[in-house]
Amino acid sequence: MKLKSALIQIAIATVFAALVPLMMHGEYALHVAVLALIFAVLAASWNLVSGYGGMFTFGHQAFFGLGAYVSALLAMHLGISTYLSIMIGTAFAMVAGVVIGLPVLRLRGAPYIAIATLAFAEIVKLIADNLTNLTHGESGLAGIPPLSPIGAMSFSIADSRPYYYCALILLVVTMVLVAAVMASPIGLAFGAIRDSQDAAESIGVDVTKYKVLLFMLSSALAGMAGGLFAHYVTVLTPSSILGIDVMVQIIAMALIGGLGTLFGPVVGAIILTVGLELLRSLGDYQLMLYGALLVVVIIVLPRGLSSLPMLIASAATKQSSIRGSSWKHPIKQREP
Amino acid sequence: MHGFNIAQLLVDGIVAGSMYALMASGISLIWGTMRMLNFAHGEFYMIGGYTLFFALVALKVHPVIAVGLGLLATFMLGVVVERLIMRWLLLRAEWEMPTLVATLGLSVFMQNFALRTFGAGDLGLPYVVPGVFRIAGVVLPGQRIAIVLVAIVAFAVVWSILRYTKFGVAIRATSQDRDTAVLMGIDFPKVYMLTFGISVALAALAATMLAPIYSVNPWMGQRPMLKAFIVVVFGGLGSLEGAILGGVVLGIIESVGVAVVSSEWQDVIAFAILILVLWVRPQGLFGAKES
Repeated sequence: MKLKSALIQIAIATVFAALVPLMMHGEYALHVAVLALIFAVLAASWNLVSGYGGMFTFGHQAFFGLGAYVSALLAMHLGISTYLSIMIGTAFAMVAGVVIGLPVLRLRGAPYIAIATLAFAEIVKLIADNLTNLTHGESGLAGIPPLSPIGAMSFSIADSRPYYYCALILLVVTMVLVAAVMASPIGLAFGAIRDSQDAAESIGVDVTKYKVLLFMLSSALAGMAGGLFAHYVTVLTPSSILGIDVMVQIIAMALIGGLGTLFGPVVGAIILTVGLELLRSLGDYQLMLYGALLVVVIIVLPRGLSSLPMLIASAATKQSSIRGSSWKHPIKQREP
Repeated sequence: MHGFNIAQLLVDGIVAGSMYALMASGISLIWGTMRMLNFAHGEFYMIGGYTLFFALVALKVHPVIAVGLGLLATFMLGVVVERLIMRWLLLRAEWEMPTLVATLGLSVFMQNFALRTFGAGDLGLPYVVPGVFRIAGVVLPGQRIAIVLVAIVAFAVVWSILRYTKFGVAIRATSQDRDTAVLMGIDFPKVYMLTFGISVALAALAATMLAPIYSVNPWMGQRPMLKAFIVVVFGGLGSLEGAILGGVVLGIIESVGVAVVSSEWQDVIAFAILILVLWVRPQGLFGAKES
């Protein structure tokens, strides 16, 4: 996609999204919308590494959780501005991204990448579990301050509206960054790496440098989303933000929307968050549904909803061509 | 006294390690044949555990029959899953990521299915093998002796199948070169189906042995599977010998490690070592370099 048209599309979508809180009534609906936006940032940032970069990682929740916990703890214990603490949390996530990115980009097999990143996420979760005097473990870190006020605008748990706009800004920044990176020569290099790493290396693409860059950007965005999440929900437990369930949700969102597309993960995040909220009465069946959805989508629609228009178009042309030929050769119609 | 303690730790390590090895050999077998990683391996382990529980408690059958039922049920489920889900993905040009996603989805589905059907509670089981033996100060419950014996027999059986039967030759041929194997008349879909079934039955076997020691719950397969992942990375994916050796080594390291590091930090260190190993030797400690 050309950068200009991508930016125009993002701008149009942003205008519509900015109007959403005006059309919505009810605090709860808005709350769901905030969660959808935060998860959209997560899915879009994971898509950067896995969709565009072709490195299918299983530990993205670690960066989300790192950003959340570091920011929450700093704001609670040092009393610094939440924006500063989110920045520090983001930096933490970014450094972690480099630390795990370096070994991962030496790995060529998808299973090894999956295991290494899963192990990393498990380490982060176990640390959050074990440092009970800091994180209170599974009993939960409560009393995280809401976002610090900006001028006249103040944040509180009671009003989701300001958070909605914060999350929207973060999502727009994420989308613009993704679009800009992919339109730059770096994006071209990623395409080459994904199609054939050996060929890319042989024509002088610095694979290592680009992959580390991608990991840094992706984990930093996830960490920032984590920070915003922490100061929004104000309660954190290791299993709620560092569990494999979070990763399953991220994968499902990116996959359903369309891996390696700009808008796919965002559309997937909105569909799944809102759709499953409507199915809230299902309770524990929700996760079962997530699991089943992953299996069905990967079999039936591996490129996600973004490929649907193309599929329909090709099906339609095929059908019309069959009809056309059958009109000429009626006998051929009987062939399977 | 100290010497006996070390002997005890070693023995405990071998017992735990033989189960890690069983889990890991299943993962390795599927990888070797089908070039896919099964993220739902732990959930097949869980199925084995629940089947054992209901066979023992509800049907009140003999423990040996209960274990057999656990293996059979899991094997059949594995065959069905391979046929209905994995088959579509394995035939694609790009199957590594899709099979990871599908097995992850399957894992979440099965866990939450068990949670809804059987509840979140831990189901306890009596030891299948009674008695406690003391040999030179080492305490050995009968159940734990049985675990090691069962593991040895299981490995002997799997190894003999791979080495001496026609089916074993078909598995090895398929894993070496699927296209050539097909040209030689090997029915690879059947090989895939049975291999998947055998692999998850190995997980169920581990579960039927361990369920009386730990307990049966929807998440019981998570830890063993993560441990098995560590083992296959140490031993090299696709290597049966590597899985056995890696499993026993991990079991001993953990068991002896308790004396040095508290148990809640043990897994952190194990996973950190895993990442380090991958960093230094991307193909695993004992794995052959792949092209």
